[in-house]
Amino acid sequence: MSIYKTAINKPVTSILIFVAVMLMGVFAYIKLPIDQYPEIDPPFVAVMCAYPGANASEVETNVTKYMENALNSVDGLDELTSTSKDNLSLVALEFEWGGNLDEVMNDIRSYVDMAKDNLPSGASNPYIIKFNSSSMPIIQFAVQAKESYPGLEKIMNDEVIPQLSRVDGVGNVSMSGEPDRYVYIDINQKQLDAYSITLETVGNAISGNNLNLSSGNVKMKKEQYALQVRSEYLESSELANIVVSTTPDGKQIYVRDIATVRDTIKDMTLDEKMNGEEAVRLIISKQTGANTVQICKDIHKELEKIQKSLPADIQFREIYDSSTEIVNAINSLEESVLYAVGFVVLVVLFFLGKWRASIIIGLTIPISLLVAFLYLLFVDSSLNIISLCSLSIAVGMVVDDAIVVLENITTHIERGSNPREAAIYGTNEVWVSVIATTLVIVAVFVPLTMLTGIAGVMFKELGWIVTIVCCTSTAVAISLVPMLCSKVLKAKSVKLDAEGHLVKEQKDTKTLSYENTVVKALDKLDAFYANVLRWCLSHRALTMLFVVAFFFVSLIPALTGRIGTDFMAVPDNGRLTVDVELLQGTRVEETAKFARMLEKRFFDLVPETKNISTTCGSNDAAGISALFSSTRNNTIQMRFNAGKKYTRERSITEIAEVLRQEIASYPEVADYKVAISSGGGMGGQSTVDVEIYGYDFDVTSAYAAQVKQLLQNDPKTRDIARNIDISRDDDRPELKIVVDKEKAARHGLTSAVVATYVRNRVNGMACGYLKEDGDEYDILVRLEEENRNSIDAIEDLTLPTSTGLVKLSEIASVEEYWGPPEIERKSRQRYLKVEVTPFNTSLGELAVAIDNVLPQIEKPNGVSVVLGGSYEDQQESFQDMGLLLLIIVILVYVVMASQFESYAKPFIIMMAVPFAFSGVIWALFFTSTSLDMIGALGCIMLVGIVVKNGIVLVDYINLMRDRGYELNEAIALSGQSRLRPVLMTAMTTILGMLPMALSTSDGSEMWVPMGIVVIGGLLVSTIVTLVVVPVLYGIMSKHGERDKEAETRSQYIFMDINTEGSKKKVASSEKISIDKK
Amino acid sequence: MKSVMIVFNQANTERVEYMLDKLGIRGFTFFEQVQGRGSVDGQPHRGTHTWPEMNSVVITVVEDDKLDVLLETIHKLDLRNEEVGVRAFVWNIEQTV
Repeated sequence: MSIYKTAINKPVTSILIFVAVMLMGVFAYIKLPIDQYPEIDPPFVAVMCAYPGANASEVETNVTKYMENALNSVDGLDELTSTSKDNLSLVALEFEWGGNLDEVMNDIRSYVDMAKDNLPSGASNPYIIKFNSSSMPIIQFAVQAKESYPGLEKIMNDEVIPQLSRVDGVGNVSMSGEPDRYVYIDINQKQLDAYSITLETVGNAISGNNLNLSSGNVKMKKEQYALQVRSEYLESSELANIVVSTTPDGKQIYVRDIATVRDTIKDMTLDEKMNGEEAVRLIISKQTGANTVQICKDIHKELEKIQKSLPADIQFREIYDSSTEIVNAINSLEESVLYAVGFVVLVVLFFLGKWRASIIIGLTIPISLLVAFLYLLFVDSSLNIISLCSLSIAVGMVVDDAIVVLENITTHIERGSNPREAAIYGTNEVWVSVIATTLVIVAVFVPLTMLTGIAGVMFKELGWIVTIVCCTSTAVAISLVPMLCSKVLKAKSVKLDAEGHLVKEQKDTKTLSYENTVVKALDKLDAFYANVLRWCLSHRALTMLFVVAFFFVSLIPALTGRIGTDFMAVPDNGRLTVDVELLQGTRVEETAKFARMLEKRFFDLVPETKNISTTCGSNDAAGISALFSSTRNNTIQMRFNAGKKYTRERSITEIAEVLRQEIASYPEVADYKVAISSGGGMGGQSTVDVEIYGYDFDVTSAYAAQVKQLLQNDPKTRDIARNIDISRDDDRPELKIVVDKEKAARHGLTSAVVATYVRNRVNGMACGYLKEDGDEYDILVRLEEENRNSIDAIEDLTLPTSTGLVKLSEIASVEEYWGPPEIERKSRQRYLKVEVTPFNTSLGELAVAIDNVLPQIEKPNGVSVVLGGSYEDQQESFQDMGLLLLIIVILVYVVMASQFESYAKPFIIMMAVPFAFSGVIWALFFTSTSLDMIGALGCIMLVGIVVKNGIVLVDYINLMRDRGYELNEAIALSGQSRLRPVLMTAMTTILGMLPMALSTSDGSEMWVPMGIVVIGGLLVSTIVTLVVVPVLYGIMSKHGERDKEAETRSQYIFMDINTEGSKKKVASSEKISIDKK
Repeated sequence: MKSVMIVFNQANTERVEYMLDKLGIRGFTFFEQVQGRGSVDGQPHRGTHTWPEMNSVVITVVEDDKLDVLLETIHKLDLRNEEVGVRAFVWNIEQTV
């Protein structure tokens, strides 16, 4: 019993099975989280090791090198880079995307353990840090306040953050730039000297009076009491009245005599502003696997609630909400899918002209798509850009199988069978070939699931979804479709005359009906096409010459380098990251002042600006996040938001250029970078990195500077290269205290003691906490600012010794010097890179231009140069794609060769593929789109889609020849008969992709290239297929090769008496009967 | 008694069964999936990729008086859609057990 017979005989069962499948699909759809990309751990691991007191090159030789050597043998390692700076070594490992990081972590742990023995004794235990996508912030707010600003930190920590942390799925909530309350004791050096007391005495007096201590129990008769000293400060004003010391004449010295007590907010090291106003940045990240969109919604709701209990002047302003982009992108893709469904149904209605049939075919779409949601739920994935793109691609293909089946069933009904039997026998005739064409699609998409690297992450899901959706559609086409046909389609009506005889139906040719308009037009088109084919078949050489010429002409844009290549499109979400570096050593207050000025200019220059959130300087309480951000006192980082792209006329690239020119006009700017920022994780702006390897700092730095200058000035790169950034910073000016060890020893001091004393005076001596309402605030004793803000003042510091007091200048000198740069290494070699961002051009073109101009400057000895960055990733993934294309072509060949039982026929069909690529080239050329990874994927998919058309045609030509038609006639007739199905499948796919290619919403930059590639390729290849495949068939086949009669006759020659005549008659009569049809 | 061999496109199976029931012919022998080719015209029914359609055959033995009405109905059936044809061949029954 075959599947379609069972389905037809048990309509209730089969309907209910599919209803169940659909219900589960709907359930899955509701349950599926929404996200931007498939969830994947970024494969980055860092090993951090502190080596206090060592400078960069010591760290490099003694720590980093050992670490690198050990870690280099970790399995699956892709790239090994390291940074060695003063006191710290950081080794970063990058692995293949999509690998198993847990195993890798175990590996790393054991290698780090091995390396530990080689580390110097002063080095700390190495930390292993694993990144995950949940460490990316999903939403950021600027919290602004007026009167409540000083108390903002407490309000945030006590009320806002705990409540937000309770929201389901929220991972980490942190603040940046919050005003920390600090109690400063600013001591005047002169007064200290006058009383000849030391700063440490003051510090000890303050911390010594600030404690609660248990002093045992007191037993009194029957009771027992705990005895305690309770002398903790209740308010900061108490501090001024602490006695530091008593002079020999009995006078007490209070803190207030030598110092000022300031209960205030911490000195500025980090300046956080929103549109130039005081703001605290609230950064929220999610837990791994949580639903970003849901969390953001909940956070907004929770904030509304919190706001009611807060002082009225506290305001939350959103800087960035990743969910809006996700929601917009997903909505627009969902819309594309719906439009695609609509278009496909319309195409079917147009070609078939029967609404019942169109409904049946339309039904296969939701069933197949809903199964895709089930798959997504099973593999714990989400509704994301990739999965929805896949659905959009699949929509046009799922109807193909159903169309073939339905068409054949209708033919049977037209001939007078009743729908039930027509369904059974109609399906029986085509189900094998339906499965065969699906196999071609499977052959194209299953290899996609085996891709590795970042391409693998993106396309694994796509491969599976299209495969699953197409297989489902085939299953539907050979079970549900025949069943519905048997129930829904109507048999041809029978008319009897008065005597009970059948009356032949008369065709109505007058009224305006489908039959008289569309069918007539299509019939004409069929006939026209058959004539074209006949002409081409009789002028084969000319046709082929023309087609080949067309092919080579179409290659011109590609060969002349007019088609750019990119790694991944940069989405225009209206956000820029502006990094400005002022001259080395600029203090943070000055940096902030400059930032305010820039903000003002930006608002003037770019009226589209929605908001600018700025950070200047760095947080000195260096957490792990501070390790990886390169902000220092002279750096400004701005998050610039220009709003949604449909709200403005200028594109984000144009705005970026305006900002760049503005920043470049200021002499105090040492370096700057304006980059288009992306939502999270993947994407972001692609760069070409000129990686310069060499041991000598001076040589490589000088060479890098030359490269930068060349790229800025050479006419070939001047206009297309932006944000040229040298990764190695300029040497920074530092002050060095050089201790004269002999003199110091005379005072009983060592360098270590000197260092501590100086630190206490300049940075401050921590003297316990002021406790209030369960919170602790630091008390910091240090010198007044005037006593520590010049080299003279530093030299004038008084240090205590065992014998009295001594000035720093007596035992040491303060010198200015240039601090050595951080040492960056890649693949265990010192290197630095010059990053270049393409402007108005593609990554590939920029790389070629750079490659062309670089030889102009002489490369120093011992220096090697490699082009890397996203360009390297792009090259790698294009290579992968090329290989994949090859595998897919071979697989498709295998499927086709086995279907036709012929080595040669598949080649005829494959000839359509190059023309698909001419279409791709043209489409890219005319829309001036560059080919990126997604577009390349479109090319690969084209192989499958294009070949499908050819199969339909060649299969039918074979059939007609087997039925006894002469070669050319068979070709022309098959063309005529198969034109509609070919046009129909091509149009459903093209129109299915059209909404995707035309979409302009958030993030559409990602998938538009794929739409363009597929539409262009399919359009050209369909037209060319219709001519090339038949003509090639004609060229490659011999008359009578499929006529097995001659061969058979030679074997049975002994019977050959008079049979020849009768056989011919049979063959010709068969032909007549088909012609009638 | 006559033996009637009805050869028909398998798409006509239900109609043939209905006809036999309607005419009160109880006995028959049914052969499914048989190949065939017409003597004059029409597509061969060979169950191959080239000629995918197949025939079925019913052999029924009827009393002489039922023969005419049977053949007439079969002819009507054939006229209903000639492309999905029905043929009937009649011969004598010599003996039965």
